[in-house]
Amino acid sequence: MFTGFFYTLKNKGLDVSTTEWLTLHDALDKGLAHSSLEEFYYLGRMILVKRESDFDKYDLAFMEYFKGVRSEDEVPQHILDFLDKQDMKFDTQNKELYSINVKRDANEVKRLFRERLGEQHTEHNGGNYWIGTSGGSAFGHHGRNPGGIRVGGESGMRTAFQVMGERRYQDFRHDKTLDIRQFQVAFRRLRQFSSKLDVPKTELDINKTVDSTCSNGGFLQLEFDKPRKNTVKLLLLFDCGGTMMPFAELSNNLFQAVHKANHFKDVKTYYFHNCIYGKVYKSAECEMGDWYDLDYIFRHTDKDYKVIIVGDAQMAPEELFDLNGNYSGPNDGMSGYEWNQLIKSKYKKVVWLNPRRHVGMSNSVGWMESEEALAQLYDMYPLTVDGLKAAITKLMETK
Amino acid sequence: MSENMKFTGSNTYIASEELMAAVDVARVLEKPLLIKGEPGTGKTMLAEAISQSLNMPLYIWNIKSTTKAQDGLYVYDTVQRLYDSQFGGKDVDNIAQYIKLGKLGEAFKNEEQVILLIDEIDKADLEFPNDLLWELDKMEFYIHETGETVKAKKRPIVIITSNAEKELPDAFLRRCIFHYISFPEPAQMDEIVRAHFETIDENLLKQAMDTFYWIRTLKEVRKKPSTSELIDWLRALIHGGIEPEVIRTTMPYLGVLIKKDEDLQVVNKRRF
Repeated sequence: MFTGFFYTLKNKGLDVSTTEWLTLHDALDKGLAHSSLEEFYYLGRMILVKRESDFDKYDLAFMEYFKGVRSEDEVPQHILDFLDKQDMKFDTQNKELYSINVKRDANEVKRLFRERLGEQHTEHNGGNYWIGTSGGSAFGHHGRNPGGIRVGGESGMRTAFQVMGERRYQDFRHDKTLDIRQFQVAFRRLRQFSSKLDVPKTELDINKTVDSTCSNGGFLQLEFDKPRKNTVKLLLLFDCGGTMMPFAELSNNLFQAVHKANHFKDVKTYYFHNCIYGKVYKSAECEMGDWYDLDYIFRHTDKDYKVIIVGDAQMAPEELFDLNGNYSGPNDGMSGYEWNQLIKSKYKKVVWLNPRRHVGMSNSVGWMESEEALAQLYDMYPLTVDGLKAAITKLMETK
Repeated sequence: MSENMKFTGSNTYIASEELMAAVDVARVLEKPLLIKGEPGTGKTMLAEAISQSLNMPLYIWNIKSTTKAQDGLYVYDTVQRLYDSQFGGKDVDNIAQYIKLGKLGEAFKNEEQVILLIDEIDKADLEFPNDLLWELDKMEFYIHETGETVKAKKRPIVIITSNAEKELPDAFLRRCIFHYISFPEPAQMDEIVRAHFETIDENLLKQAMDTFYWIRTLKEVRKKPSTSELIDWLRALIHGGIEPEVIRTTMPYLGVLIKKDEDLQVVNKRRF
């Protein structure tokens, strides 16, 4: 049944599984849609769609596949056409008219609506009976009836109990290039357990307990030990220069993944603009003065911090090699390349994630030079799930 | 249970038609119902309302960042058994007495059909939902220490809530019925508020609602006030005997609605 709908959903980018599809059929067999197109819509959505950000895709697929189906509530095109007026204002002055429209019960309104659909062939504006704009009729839009059916037009007072063809979940939509979850799962591998931490002894140590009990003449002697904790500490450095703009969301996903992972001992995040010099910024806006000296960072992190630099390494050669190459702040006495060498030598493990690498964008020759110089200095990986996995393997290996 | 039993909301819980249909579908299809939505849209209260409406006992399993799937099934109290073996008094060969069932286990053991609420599942570890797949599918688990299989006599109605702090695994999502509680429109909010107050001054309600929805439109406000905060605020306004006319301009007891310092500043800057 409706196999075409399944593929329409797939085409709209919804990842519907066979299990879910069969569940929907099971639900239909049990009569949960009550032979109504509207209830089928909700039923399908609650079974097939699991993220509110995907509701819009479902709406589109549903409209596309079922647009030919004539439901009894369907409004003929010629009526929708005349209802399609811009710049309508609500008539809010006329309180008297408003009050004479008593709220009918929903089924009554539906029945009348169908009746009207059958009779009506012409345009109506104002008035209290036909489908039309303004007026006190229960059908149409910009009217004053509090319990009617809105047909076409912009949603204004939002009192109509049934709103047709409205894509309410459009705002929730965000087409993600990469799932945060995939990043999170990759970060799970960044762990190193140790029981050398300064925490209370709360875990029962079976072996020691057996030993102590034996040497205690068989009387039970419980021994506890410190639980093992992840000791990985992370230092993240994000490039927030202009060329990173196209990758803002990708970088943001990575950022989110790290911060939602609560298994690290410590995470420090700083920002830089195009190239790292003697200072790193506290926030992504990279405002002058809102920074720490790199020296300060060095003093507050030890060599065991694992460093991940995220950037596209796109810059003019002089930005990297010149003693005055920094155009958005001071150079602090060394070229960008020398500062980068210092970072490399300060920490045991440093990797660079480059969002540009896998896209295969063409570089201008000069910018290529900087990227290659940095790629030779650091281990550089593309910012993809596989790239991240490779980078993490690099961070974890012991030499 | 008879087939015509249907969830219709309760005295204090106003459910949208969509939500009631979702509860019904989850019950008939015997699948967990996953509820997502903004904080304060009544996700947790839903389970209580269903339990009242269908007259079934409710088991709540609150998930914390340290919760393991095993905690919900059973815990084997080894230390107690070791102590007892030393000091006597109990028959330590009877391992069953050292098995303590978790919330899931208790719900399975109940003779009647029950409601099981797994609250804020996204608080737990990333793999947590995956560890429960079998138990929620088959509604049974095995206790290794005693060789006993605990199986639900009547499948509990499982409600799971999430604040979307973490993405849930696909394998888990595929097995659920999903419902997103969108923030109530003013008309529905009106109904919700009236369910909480027997009588309320019409003008006061209108002024307060207008202000409330106005604050929610401010883009700079980071933590938008929710339903429960509106109700608290209304209580405060009524208790303080505030004149409805001044609500919009002076916004008394704003701290009840807005909890963040930055947000308070934003509202104070933007108000008339």
